[in-house]
Amino acid sequence: MTHPQQPPLEPRPAVGDTGTQADPAERWLRVHVISPLVRGWIALVAILFIVGRDWFEGLFGPGPRGRSPLPEGVGVLAAVGILLGVVVIIAAAFLLSWYCTRYQVTRDHVRVHSGVVFRQQRQARLDRVQAIDIVQPFLARIFGLAELKFEVADAGESAVRLAFLKLDDARRLRAMILARAAGVDPDPEHPEEIVEAPEREVVVVPAGRVVGSAVLSGTSIALLVATIVIVTLGVVFRTPIVATSFIPILIGVAGSYWSALSTGYNFRAATSPDGLRIRYGLLDTRAQTVPPGRVQALGIVQSPLWRLKGWYRVTANVAGYGASASNEGQARATLLPVGTRDEVLQILALVLPDPGTDRPVELFAAGMAGRDGGEGFVTTPRRARWLAPLAWRRTGFAVTGTALLLRSGVLWRRLAVVPHERTQSLAIEQGPVDRRFRVAQLILHTTPGPVSPRVSLADAPTAWALFHGQAARAAEARRRSGPEQWMRPDAVEPAAVPLTEDGSAVDGAPQQPGQAPVAPRQVMPVAPRYTPVSRDPEEVPDGRR
Amino acid sequence: MRREPIDPSGLEWSRVSPKYLRVRVFGWLIGSLVWLVLACVPLVLRLTGVWETFPPLWLAWGLPAAVLVGAAWRGLLLPRQVAAIGYAERDDDLLVRQGVIFQRTMVVPYGRMQYVDVAVGPLERAFGICTLKLHTASPATNAEIPGLPTDEGARLREQLSARGQARLAGL
Repeated sequence: MTHPQQPPLEPRPAVGDTGTQADPAERWLRVHVISPLVRGWIALVAILFIVGRDWFEGLFGPGPRGRSPLPEGVGVLAAVGILLGVVVIIAAAFLLSWYCTRYQVTRDHVRVHSGVVFRQQRQARLDRVQAIDIVQPFLARIFGLAELKFEVADAGESAVRLAFLKLDDARRLRAMILARAAGVDPDPEHPEEIVEAPEREVVVVPAGRVVGSAVLSGTSIALLVATIVIVTLGVVFRTPIVATSFIPILIGVAGSYWSALSTGYNFRAATSPDGLRIRYGLLDTRAQTVPPGRVQALGIVQSPLWRLKGWYRVTANVAGYGASASNEGQARATLLPVGTRDEVLQILALVLPDPGTDRPVELFAAGMAGRDGGEGFVTTPRRARWLAPLAWRRTGFAVTGTALLLRSGVLWRRLAVVPHERTQSLAIEQGPVDRRFRVAQLILHTTPGPVSPRVSLADAPTAWALFHGQAARAAEARRRSGPEQWMRPDAVEPAAVPLTEDGSAVDGAPQQPGQAPVAPRQVMPVAPRYTPVSRDPEEVPDGRR
Repeated sequence: MRREPIDPSGLEWSRVSPKYLRVRVFGWLIGSLVWLVLACVPLVLRLTGVWETFPPLWLAWGLPAAVLVGAAWRGLLLPRQVAAIGYAERDDDLLVRQGVIFQRTMVVPYGRMQYVDVAVGPLERAFGICTLKLHTASPATNAEIPGLPTDEGARLREQLSARGQARLAGL
């Protein structure tokens, strides 16, 4: 698309819900023909295995005496015939299911019709998109295929899954959906000419660090504790048999290491006009796109051993991802599996381009690793210290112009960041013990996900002030927040306005946004960065302290 | 109504219908009766000699006694619990409070409301009251206003929907 934004007056009538226009871009399409095979290969292998094993055993079995009354050779023929029949039936079923699955992307909707006997017609609004994933399971990768997942805010199941498309088609479709979801009008003469938005890579996690993060993870601590317990039990009770309980533990630990490795391997985060892009995966690969303003809450966690290296993990609540406890669900909600403080700040700057404070680096550093007041953090009052003897100096919150920061945890350090306009509702709770110490607990409700922001043991009057203040700030921020279609021509501005054009961002920014004919979606984005106020960034409290 | 002494806002809380207390008392009576009957089973078995020695008599007597004390305590708390339920409509959001010992106040912005439920059970219908429930995109928002008079519930539902429409703000 080489034209600028078309004026709202377009030659083509808005299609809207009718969808009957014979527009080439809106024709019904089918997924790739071998996709049922890629999806159902496990079932196929199982059937072949069972049938094949029977036949194989028959070959080398006890010989002709126990066999059927059929003459020699006919049995084999019959077996082959049955096998062929089964294969033909399965192939026909696959073909039929492929034939009955159609999809269409119109200006406002994506529609999928599927099912042979029980038919399903599903339609989702493009401007409701919360995230788009391109997933390539290992087998699909071999065939060069990919699955496209379109997420809306129903917290769980993908709204639309197109499995499988050719990788290029999937990318093109993603670009088209994102362009339309952003409110960018396609060039009316060549509506199919939508190119992918450019992206600037901002964080790459080296493989060595992924391995290190798994070794230093909480799993290793659990393994250590289990080892000590089992060895102690074995020695005290003189029962070496308890050593066998190692086997399930080891299997679990190996599984945990494997999932950390396979989902953290080759992790890359990039910024683009379509939003945040992340890619990862060892065997199965996944490329996720989270458009601007779709991150509901952000969590930064540091497990105890990661303190040695100053590593953090960044997770996020995105409405379409839901709160799945599965490996896949957890990996999807991870914006950075393991990163240094600078990388965490970089991700934060992408998600929250305007931190609402003059000292973002210092503030977030205090939130990630600090204690006590300072940088605007309000912690548990001293009178309540016996309710949380270790954590009371760390538990606290800070408010900026655009977000609320909630800090907690001593061993597992946590920081939750909730943009004001993303707060769903708030609750303040007080039990009898809390009342005795004049403290209260404030809970922010966000969409389901790994981050559950709350402040416990806050001074009661402060908590009430925060409660009412936060309600007002959230209302104000909602009024100011941008439209769902983040690049609509009449929209104020794209959400990702860079704070400072820091030349050190990756490599010198070569783009010239001033040129008129370049549509904003084609502009190479500048990665926004937080700039530290203090001259020497090393002065800032670090994870090692 | 018992006010939070340090609640700085000076909000005007609306209280729920006093009929709701009767519904709660009714439920409390039935519940307590069921628990009492269950707790009396070992005592009856022991006294009739079906069980010979196992539950010592003090335990057999103590169980129903404990249930009775617990029920009485809950019954004493009921009026205060019902009185503690309140809601306040502000320009941008609705506040809901509840609880005597474990107190909770929740604020739900109108623009964040996804839908509003009004539920009426048989007992509530007999007393002409209903329960209003607000839902946002977060499952943690379990804001519930029980014991609203039916017409007040309908008014509030319409009001909330209208305000939600006016202040709609996606997610």
